[in-house]
Amino acid sequence: MLSLIYTRRLRAAAVGLSVGALVLTGCSSGGGGGPEASEDSPSESAPEQAQIAFADAKASTGPAPEVPGATPGGTIRVLQRDSYSHLDPAQIYVSDEMSLATLIHRGLTGYRMNEDGTYAVVGDLATDSGQVSDGGRTWTYRLKDGIKWQDGTPITAQDVRHTFERQFAPFLTSGPTFVQQWLAGVNGAEFRNLLKDGPYQGKHLGNDVLETPNDSTVVFHFKDPQPDLPFALAMAGYSVVPKAKDTKQKYDRAPVASGPYKIADFKANKSMTLVKNPEWDPKTDVIRHQYVDKFAITFNHQYEDSSKRLLSDSGENKTAISFNNSVDAASLPKVLGDAEAKKRTVSGFQPYVGQFAMNMDRLKDKRVREAIAYALPIKSVLQPYGGPPSGQLAGGLISPTQAGYQKDYDPYDKLKKPEGDPARAKKVLEEAGKVGTKLTFAYVNTPEGQQYSVSVASALEKAGFDVQRKDLPADTYYDRIGTVDNGYDIYHHSWGADWPSASTVIPPLFDGRAIADGAKNYSHVNDPKINSEIDRIKKITDQKKAADAWFELNKYILEDVLPAVPTYYFKHVQLHGSKVGGVVFSDVVNGVDPTRLYVVR
Amino acid sequence: MLRFLVRRTLGAIVILLLISAFTFFLFYAVPRDPALLACGKNCDSESVALIRHNMGLDDPIPVQYWEYMSGIVTGRDFAAGSCPAPCLGYSFDDSAPVWDTLVDRFPTTLSLALGGGAVFLTVGLGAGLIAAWKRGTWVDKTFSSLSLVLSSMQIYFVGPLVLALLVYNNEILGQPSYVPFTENPVEWFSGLLIPWCVLSVIFTANYTRMARATMIEQLQEEHVRMARAKGMSGRTVFFRYAWRGSLIPIVTIFGVDMGSLFGGAIITEATFALPGLGTLAVDSVQELDLPMTMGVMLFAATMIVIFNIIVDATYALIDPRVRLS
Repeated sequence: MLSLIYTRRLRAAAVGLSVGALVLTGCSSGGGGGPEASEDSPSESAPEQAQIAFADAKASTGPAPEVPGATPGGTIRVLQRDSYSHLDPAQIYVSDEMSLATLIHRGLTGYRMNEDGTYAVVGDLATDSGQVSDGGRTWTYRLKDGIKWQDGTPITAQDVRHTFERQFAPFLTSGPTFVQQWLAGVNGAEFRNLLKDGPYQGKHLGNDVLETPNDSTVVFHFKDPQPDLPFALAMAGYSVVPKAKDTKQKYDRAPVASGPYKIADFKANKSMTLVKNPEWDPKTDVIRHQYVDKFAITFNHQYEDSSKRLLSDSGENKTAISFNNSVDAASLPKVLGDAEAKKRTVSGFQPYVGQFAMNMDRLKDKRVREAIAYALPIKSVLQPYGGPPSGQLAGGLISPTQAGYQKDYDPYDKLKKPEGDPARAKKVLEEAGKVGTKLTFAYVNTPEGQQYSVSVASALEKAGFDVQRKDLPADTYYDRIGTVDNGYDIYHHSWGADWPSASTVIPPLFDGRAIADGAKNYSHVNDPKINSEIDRIKKITDQKKAADAWFELNKYILEDVLPAVPTYYFKHVQLHGSKVGGVVFSDVVNGVDPTRLYVVR
Repeated sequence: MLRFLVRRTLGAIVILLLISAFTFFLFYAVPRDPALLACGKNCDSESVALIRHNMGLDDPIPVQYWEYMSGIVTGRDFAAGSCPAPCLGYSFDDSAPVWDTLVDRFPTTLSLALGGGAVFLTVGLGAGLIAAWKRGTWVDKTFSSLSLVLSSMQIYFVGPLVLALLVYNNEILGQPSYVPFTENPVEWFSGLLIPWCVLSVIFTANYTRMARATMIEQLQEEHVRMARAKGMSGRTVFFRYAWRGSLIPIVTIFGVDMGSLFGGAIITEATFALPGLGTLAVDSVQELDLPMTMGVMLFAATMIVIFNIIVDATYALIDPRVRLS
């Protein structure tokens, strides 16, 4: 999903579903259905996206409200498929590492799940989600009292400065780059020119960019308004790193914890043990808990393996869980059909939206693209990946995990006719005089891809197209469709948000100025109105207004330009042992929220 | 003997060099870019170039190969981290030198191979000898057909079946796992018991059939007949005369099997999620972790080559007619 380059597993890349190790996502409302979710049916994300509030100091003050029924102590076994490639926060950008980061790292802001299952961006190390001034260009953060590193030294504004300055160093290449680009006032990799070697050669960011007037105050100065900063700072990638203990490259293997747990032992690809960090003070933290004594994480558990273990609920599997593994497609019917096992599941949305890109360089006539939109059987695309538990059919480009989502938005009647409407498509094609138009349809050569390609091709043929199917190997799928001169007309891909605003979805996919080999504008749409609207909406400081504007732009893109046809919003189901309590699906890490877990006595 | 060993070792080095070159060029020629994999979500061409440089991938492939090979002796420094000698590459996926991971993973594979080897050798040879001893009887027929059935089974079928029966549904045994012998010998044993037995299923059958066949063949040899004619007891003839002669082919396949197992029992390790060299190999290929893939390949190849030398040396011990010249 997303593009291959964000997945650590080649085969996962284009397969789409539930392949962990993906990019961080935004979060959303609705989420996991609240603290009691796992007690009854699998929790479901709420269908309508509520606006995520930027919380004030009161809502950012710890401790976090107790999880009902939680007791301290015990060990939870965590079955993970992929090992952690990175532990240095500045290198973290995939969802399994983000899950881990919620336990060991802290940043200026963070997401808190409210009692009603909605989310707020709160101050984590900072006293609130940020004080904005100068029309969104200046953001001020004050650090809480009593925040400490695992060695007991206090976390200071100098550490925060160091955290952001080191993000410019050339050896840190895997993390998010939003804040660096905003500070430098540029797009792309040239942000590094602002502080070429990071802070390691004695140079620092000027006070006109990043100001630390005292030990507890940090002020960001941006050239343009950056209304999404509290969202960006909540990314694990912007968690803090201690200036005095920064071991540069080596930090990636042995980071210093600021969260409730610290790493006692890590063997890549094998195991990791997390133990309580005694220097973490719950009074400073409104997001996390510290119930469990120890998390014993082991890797190499394929989804089939973890599903079988957890389904059996035998022996040590009773106190086991996986932060990120989904229930595998083959075990899904058994898990959801067994009342006892179903009680032990949680499910929710992932931030990815599947969509067919239509190559605008080749399909220049909008009526042809319209005919494709009517003809496509989106239900048949989801089916091979597991059907409804694995996704919700999509009408628009903005997913339920993002502000601005509208459930009933369905401009091409895809929700009413998910198997496609070839008759209507044919009519459109006939009116355009384009019956018999040749279409090269590229699909990923996996069992799932082969399956959906047949139904898609047949629906398009019924609509009057002359379809040529082209299978692409899974490991190079995204590279091939990401080439501007790819030679294909339509191809499926998916993309996920970094935070619950369409500002990290629409610009990368539909900004015409970003068409290049390897870029994400897979349909090569270059529409002046889309481009100018992106620039305008990015600067809107009012979240609600911005969400509405993104939705309107999504409407314009789909109805007036039509470069892509949405297929489904990704979901997944997770299972846990019967002695693990406090299991809630978090829309922030798109899986189980590790910070609330406890062992049931 | 010494001359033999020196000569074989030199030959082994040449073979390993060839394997390393072949593997290196093969894997580095794949049309995939590890730098792209490591590049964050909002990646662009400058970032990819930077990562490629950090990984040392911007040099021509022959230069990269030379640096790789010389790094084994001298160690290397990457922008992403340092890799002391013997540097078999630096895994950008694990942010660690390949050698450290190999050393960490080897004990799991070693435990699995030694325990599994002990089981399949004992059970396999035992059943084969009994079948040969009782040739033509129902015992022979039972063992022979059983070995045929077992050799048709696959670990990925037997493994989950055993897990379902003994672990998930009845909880007779605990979840298989690897605990170092030095940490807790009892847990080491109990954690690996199921993997040993399952791994042995396919191997045992081979040894049963091989032992039976070679024993029957040996029992028809003239020196055995002579011993019988001289009035030696059946047991002496069986174990001292026929048995010794039948050892050579068994040692050969045992050596090859152990060599392969020491390089990683991929399916068994994957079935039971054991962190050995086999799972490491699979993971590194899936994650396009080329340095790690190279490291595991070279390690596995070294094991096979070493065991081949051991097997050849063992021939001389078993059969004085074999000269090591």
